[in-house]
Amino acid sequence: MEYCPVVYPDAFNQGISNEKAIHIYFSQAIPLITYIDESCLYLEEKKCRICENICQNDAIDLKQEPKKKEVNVGAIILSPGIKPYDPGAMKEYHYGDFINVVSSMDYERIMCATGPYQGEILRAFDLKSPQKIAWIQCVGSRQVIEGGNSYCSSVCCTYAQKQVILTKDYNPDAECTIFHNDIRSYGKDFERFYERTNALPGVRFIRSYTNIVREDPETKNVFVRYATNEEGVKEEEFDLVVLSVGLEPPANYDQMADIFDIELNEHGFCKTDPANPIQTTRPGIFSCGAFQGPTDIPESVFSASGASSQCGQLLNFRRGKLAQDKVYPPEIDVSGEEPRIGVFVCHCGANISRVVDIPSTVDYCLTLPNVVYAMEQLFSCASNSAQEITDMIKEKGLNRVVIAACTPRTLEPLFHDTLKEAGLNQYYLEMANIREHDSWVHSKAKEEATVKAWDLIRMSVARANLLEPLQEIDLPVNKAALVVGGGIAGMNCAFSIAEQGHIVHLLEKEPVLGGIARKIHDTLEGLDVQEYLRTLIEKIYRHPLIHVYTETTITEVTGYVGNFVTKVQSEKGDAVIEHGAAIIATGADVYTPTEYLYGEDERVLTHLELEELMAKEDEKVTGAQSIVMIQCVGCRNEDRDYCSRICCSESIKNALKLKEINPDLDIYVLFRDIRTYGFNEDFYREAADKDVRFIRYEPEAEPQIEPGTGEEDGRPVLKVTLPDYVLGKKLELDADLVALAAATIPAPTTKEVAGQFMLTLNPDGFYKEAHVKLRPVEFATDGVFLCGLAHYPKFIPETINQAYGAASRVLTLLSHDTVTASGSICVVEDEKCMGCGACVTACKYDAIKLQKTRHGDKAMVNPVLCKGDGLCNAMCPTGAIQLKHYTDEELFSMIDTMIPVEEEEKADAIAGGV
Amino acid sequence: MEGEVLLKDKIRQLKEKIEDKLGKKDFGDVLIVGGGISGIQASLDLASSGFKVYLVDEAPSIGGHMAQLDKTFPTNDCSI
Amino acid sequence: MEIEAPFKEIIEEIKEFGGEAVKYCYQCGKCDTVCPWNKVTNFSVRRLIREAAFGFPEIDREEVWRCTTCGRCVEVCPREVRQVEDMVAMRRIAVGYGVSPSFLRMVRSATAGLAAEGNPFVEDRAKRADWAKESDVQTFTEEMEILYFPGCFPSYDARLQNVARATANVLNKAGVEFGILGSEESCCGESIRKVGNEDLFKTLAKDNIKTFIENGVKKILVSSPHCYHTFKNEYPEFMVHFDVVHITQYLLELLNEGRLQIGKEYTKKVAYHDPCYLGRHNNVYDEPREVLKKIPGLELRELYESRENSLCCGMGGGRIWIDTDMEERFSNIRIEDAVELGVEVLVTACPYCIDALEDSRLGLNYEDTIQVLDITEVLQEVI
Repeated sequence: MEYCPVVYPDAFNQGISNEKAIHIYFSQAIPLITYIDESCLYLEEKKCRICENICQNDAIDLKQEPKKKEVNVGAIILSPGIKPYDPGAMKEYHYGDFINVVSSMDYERIMCATGPYQGEILRAFDLKSPQKIAWIQCVGSRQVIEGGNSYCSSVCCTYAQKQVILTKDYNPDAECTIFHNDIRSYGKDFERFYERTNALPGVRFIRSYTNIVREDPETKNVFVRYATNEEGVKEEEFDLVVLSVGLEPPANYDQMADIFDIELNEHGFCKTDPANPIQTTRPGIFSCGAFQGPTDIPESVFSASGASSQCGQLLNFRRGKLAQDKVYPPEIDVSGEEPRIGVFVCHCGANISRVVDIPSTVDYCLTLPNVVYAMEQLFSCASNSAQEITDMIKEKGLNRVVIAACTPRTLEPLFHDTLKEAGLNQYYLEMANIREHDSWVHSKAKEEATVKAWDLIRMSVARANLLEPLQEIDLPVNKAALVVGGGIAGMNCAFSIAEQGHIVHLLEKEPVLGGIARKIHDTLEGLDVQEYLRTLIEKIYRHPLIHVYTETTITEVTGYVGNFVTKVQSEKGDAVIEHGAAIIATGADVYTPTEYLYGEDERVLTHLELEELMAKEDEKVTGAQSIVMIQCVGCRNEDRDYCSRICCSESIKNALKLKEINPDLDIYVLFRDIRTYGFNEDFYREAADKDVRFIRYEPEAEPQIEPGTGEEDGRPVLKVTLPDYVLGKKLELDADLVALAAATIPAPTTKEVAGQFMLTLNPDGFYKEAHVKLRPVEFATDGVFLCGLAHYPKFIPETINQAYGAASRVLTLLSHDTVTASGSICVVEDEKCMGCGACVTACKYDAIKLQKTRHGDKAMVNPVLCKGDGLCNAMCPTGAIQLKHYTDEELFSMIDTMIPVEEEEKADAIAGGV
Repeated sequence: MEGEVLLKDKIRQLKEKIEDKLGKKDFGDVLIVGGGISGIQASLDLASSGFKVYLVDEAPSIGGHMAQLDKTFPTNDCSI
Repeated sequence: MEIEAPFKEIIEEIKEFGGEAVKYCYQCGKCDTVCPWNKVTNFSVRRLIREAAFGFPEIDREEVWRCTTCGRCVEVCPREVRQVEDMVAMRRIAVGYGVSPSFLRMVRSATAGLAAEGNPFVEDRAKRADWAKESDVQTFTEEMEILYFPGCFPSYDARLQNVARATANVLNKAGVEFGILGSEESCCGESIRKVGNEDLFKTLAKDNIKTFIENGVKKILVSSPHCYHTFKNEYPEFMVHFDVVHITQYLLELLNEGRLQIGKEYTKKVAYHDPCYLGRHNNVYDEPREVLKKIPGLELRELYESRENSLCCGMGGGRIWIDTDMEERFSNIRIEDAVELGVEVLVTACPYCIDALEDSRLGLNYEDTIQVLDITEVLQEVI
């Protein structure tokens, strides 16, 4: 790479920094090898060949030709992702024209520690840190004019907020302004994130699209004009403008459609069926992720899992025939040896090394007791670094490893694997978190941060000295699954699991299957929901492996991953169900409004009630001249600080349907932000086209409603008044019916089920998944999975994606005969145990039982239930119960090395004196 | 009885023929086109539930656009 | 805050008069950010659109009459609200209700003139061809290859008669067989339509169409982008299609065909001002620039708001007949920009633009600094 004469803009860094023709794509790339791209002089002009001669391993073959390889497969998943919108397509953004106008993708690289400025947020123009930054939303999205896309890209509002927060973290004095139309915080926890961003000092959200006017010839600052209702148009100067670009289908989408012979929708994304968004128009070919339409990461993850579940359904007959298990070298017993510790200090690109002085830290490590080797690594998590660690373990005879890098939460499993590869017991690993606990939080105090890194590593080394090898336990897996909730989510999930050969017990609390979908008649995409439900329910009842229980209550849940025992009462009588996995699909409920005369005046309805009247062609609907719809009833407020996601589209769906019934009907939708994300934006415009009128209100001035008489004909109506901020006037609307977009709230059984399965809830009362992004359909509790509205409000196609996603995750468990449980669990020293039972009550997992012995009651730990949280340790008055891998001795050693003994004694003396 | 054996034999022969034709070596269960976050997730799920997967990407590394992102909402976890 | 109920009859009327697209507006404010009025005062297109959507247009206020129909907002509107059509619809309502506040004084006289004499100056129809008295210009006959339609300003206005004469000179030099209609020519009607007088527009259009047909006109050459626009895009409403060409397009054609030869240098720094109705409304951006680039010695510079982003001179949409305060004239900004750019000549191709820019040039005391010329006036000096 050093010798390559070709320097050109690096595509991975959005062209902000330069790269050689022969290079590594990015430092954590997989596979992590150099490659040569089209800019190579030899490939272009048959010149140069320097690299070929330099390479000592003869690894470079410039004559290599692309090879065609034919593979035969049973199914295909298309996950080509998206292409970020190119803002150069519309001149008005001045992208590529003004140097300080960047796209959000550029900005992402600018912020990144592995980016062109090693995580310093700088302008390319003068390499200075911008103070005033503007984000411009909807670039390329929500516009029907040439060069733009009519749909909403769904993710930009939230990613822009993330960028603002990270910018403020980097530079607390930065002034950040977001120019937007509607703020679309429709996802789980998005609303809180928006509020958090909005509350930061120096952050402004301005509801206006903008015009980028000019740049200053000297400073290259950018002038932006925006509109306000009160003070007219304003022009402001910014150091940097970030264009929040939308998502487009992959560049070669038409070619892809040709090759795979599938159909696309009018926007170039995959054409999908609302009843099964994973299925393309060609059997055996599935789509997932953003190819279905603009989506964020968690939804991509669960639709991907969903696609794999559908492949599993198709190919179940040959499961396991081609796959091979990974084989590790036999474990070497080093327990008798003196500790020989190796410390690996990670730069994390520049995330750590920008703040902590790494070379001096490595030197420091070598001074610590029993440390025989220390080295620095650019990314310890990159595949070459893992190889390096394994090599060093072997070469230097290391028997303990300390990795000074980031949080063990994400990467500990990876390093466990690294140790196993080297033949060491994986519990000989210790991680010192010098990123989250150090470089990220002390970025302004570099020297102190370096000393802190030393302290943290010293503590880890102290503990590493005492680490013991632990064995993990293999548990048998019961091959049946239990699905709690017989709505669309539960039924689809049950069906997919059963199709892959597993018995499924499907529990429903109502006498009939269907859940809340029984009240929905159609969707914006035109799915006949009742017809769909009928077919689905029939499929469920006909499936030989699915056992349906209705009018069910769960009385008791015991057991653990692979081996649950659940007792239920149902119309079939009492039953005890043994199952290896459980899926929670308990759905959601509709908020009963107390606002806007609901319950007092029968002309005020919820949307579901309106839909019911529409389906019955009730005279109240057919005879109405005017209907007012009010959005955000019962949520986006202090009580329920989230957006119910589906209501904007639900209202628009009903409005369009009503216009079909009676085109002369006046419909007013009173909203705070219209959140028709994705392709539903087209329906928003269609509603406007059909003369549905949209009026925005602020929570401080909610619409007022009172009975009155019609303006023209004196008929009895409800008078709805609210200010219109553009008009600067109050509008008075006559309504024959008022439909409230009542919040979607957690189902009443949520808490109870959470208690039974040991699950946690988020602040809004919905179930909390194991990881927002990467494990969106799993619980922290092993063997329990999640899908549907119980997770968060969502549309039917999204629910179906997630149901299949959960099924796939269930299959990764049920397709194995055994499951491994952690070795880091509690053990009781019988002699010390007094049988007081304090630990039994402390344990949240029911893992400890008192057992009668000859020496009285003694606590017993069930190793498979124990999650190793250590709560019991703290409660035990005699120190009889200890958590392996986190013993008192190990932890005290860390404290002792942090606070020298003399000081500790001094502190004790002072404390004693008081 | 005899007929049954014959039938089984026939099926075996037929199977071998098909396998010959398709090429035993490059026979997989699922092809995944695109190695971004969704392609990776689908591969992992399939591989860990007993299938052989071919994952293809046009870039020199898997990771897709997510690898280009800095940190992610809402925990600011590192994207990689 | 004042309370009002949506006024359904008015909403219907706006729809009927062509303003239906206001229903698409999602109030993003983009129109306000590009509207040239907001460079000189506070003016909200967004509010006018919102008022129309709820049936509250305040047709007696000047706001409704401000829009110069420059089309800047239409070009960027993400929801295709077609603001210009709404502005015209509101004016049509005002005309229908006989609303005529004092600021429309000149519109009233122009209306009278157009109705009586076919020109807005209340000048004698018979004098329409007076500009050509000293030039070699024929009356149009069917055998001629093209009809030259100078329009009202070049026919009557002293400054703009120069443009008509320059055009005639250039055409003669190129050996084009052309003629004019003289007193038979009427105003094209574009601007009177924009102030809401649909009936008068129709009368004028029908007069012209009748004349064209009777005289066997097939191809029409125009000086004004406004005539160009209405002949090309609006006359087809009467089911007639004439071949219309703007002088900038025609000049390029003549040059490319070699009928017109450039013999002299023009060593001046020049900027070209895009007229709204030639550029944004009809996508003619390149032809005038191509013509200027063919002139040796001429250094062409670009104004910072050019082409699609061109700044309106302020005279479109009937504003030619409505007084604009000196400090609120867009043409002032345009002249200042051109002076700052260091050009000696600001070239354009629209009589309204020339009128406004000349006014500003004098008003701002730039008589010795910069010239405002029609493209034909430049060309006649070098051929």
